[in-house]
Amino acid sequence: MTPVNISLLVFMIGLYGVMSKNNLIKKIMGLTIINGSIVLFFISIGYRKAGLAPILEEWTTDGISTAIFVDPLPQALMLTTIVIGISVTALALALIVRIYAKYKTLDIQQLSKER
Amino acid sequence: MRSSKIIRTIVQKLFPFIVLFGLYLISHGHLSPGGGFQGGVVVGTAIILLALSYGIEKTEKKFKNRRLSMLEKLGILSFILLGFLGIFTGHSFLGNFLPLGRPGQIASGGLMLLFNIAIGIEVAAGVSIIFYALVKYRGEL
Amino acid sequence: MSKEMKKVFFIIIILVMATLFILSVDIEYGNPKNLDVANYYIDKGLHDTGAINLVAAIYLGYRAYDTLIETIVLFVAVTGVVFYLRGKR
Repeated sequence: MTPVNISLLVFMIGLYGVMSKNNLIKKIMGLTIINGSIVLFFISIGYRKAGLAPILEEWTTDGISTAIFVDPLPQALMLTTIVIGISVTALALALIVRIYAKYKTLDIQQLSKER
Repeated sequence: MRSSKIIRTIVQKLFPFIVLFGLYLISHGHLSPGGGFQGGVVVGTAIILLALSYGIEKTEKKFKNRRLSMLEKLGILSFILLGFLGIFTGHSFLGNFLPLGRPGQIASGGLMLLFNIAIGIEVAAGVSIIFYALVKYRGEL
Repeated sequence: MSKEMKKVFFIIIILVMATLFILSVDIEYGNPKNLDVANYYIDKGLHDTGAINLVAAIYLGYRAYDTLIETIVLFVAVTGVVFYLRGKR
């Protein structure tokens, strides 16, 4: 049960939340859970056995580096992913506040009958 | 939206330390895990904590909406200006033109500390403005 | 979406996910095969940028364009939220 499999399970939980919940806020929570599972997947791809965090300590900067570091590139890419995730969540919540102020309900079955 | 007296007292005593920790994360971004985004979110969370425990009117007297908006625009503009300074001194856009220094000190890495400070100001103000807008909405347009 | 279509949808999704799960059990975790780019960043990151945090050396040194565009994305999101929640004039 490596973190790759666990990220797939968390993705399935988030997908269930998006597909089969009727409340709009619970659908947005499902999107956030899917975002977290993708971040976990990418970071766990760059793992090396017995590797340290990619921060050079004092004893590796004097020219001889005998330590094994994990891959620092996916971690730098996931910073951007997290920021874009919170941007999408913030805009979606603003739209949900406007929908509730106009239609007085957040149920998607009732909203699809409004037109 | 005022909380009880215990929460107000504890938040009043804890607020400077949370801001100090956020500034530590921003300024040591090139030496230890952290950086502009992480420290900026911590400082923004401190302002949200004040708004949750003291009510939104009293918090807006201290951290005005216009001043936060000005800080956010200042942060993103200074990031772009630092990029153009790289062109004016002969390197590429967003290139390092300051001396690199000794590794392990705060004054190392060239432009990285200034980048982190600009990003930190922008993210802290942005998160606070999103919270103010979501809480103060009354009725339709 | 009627109840029957929902049930068929669920069963298809669960079958696809179970297939992916069974196929991914024997991934060699902790043994990546191509490490050329990572070794370049680890060997030359300190010399090129002068920072001992290699992740900061990547996203503020080698790839600073992506950080600039990401900051602009956050700024546009804040502008959109303020636009939608203006309230009574």
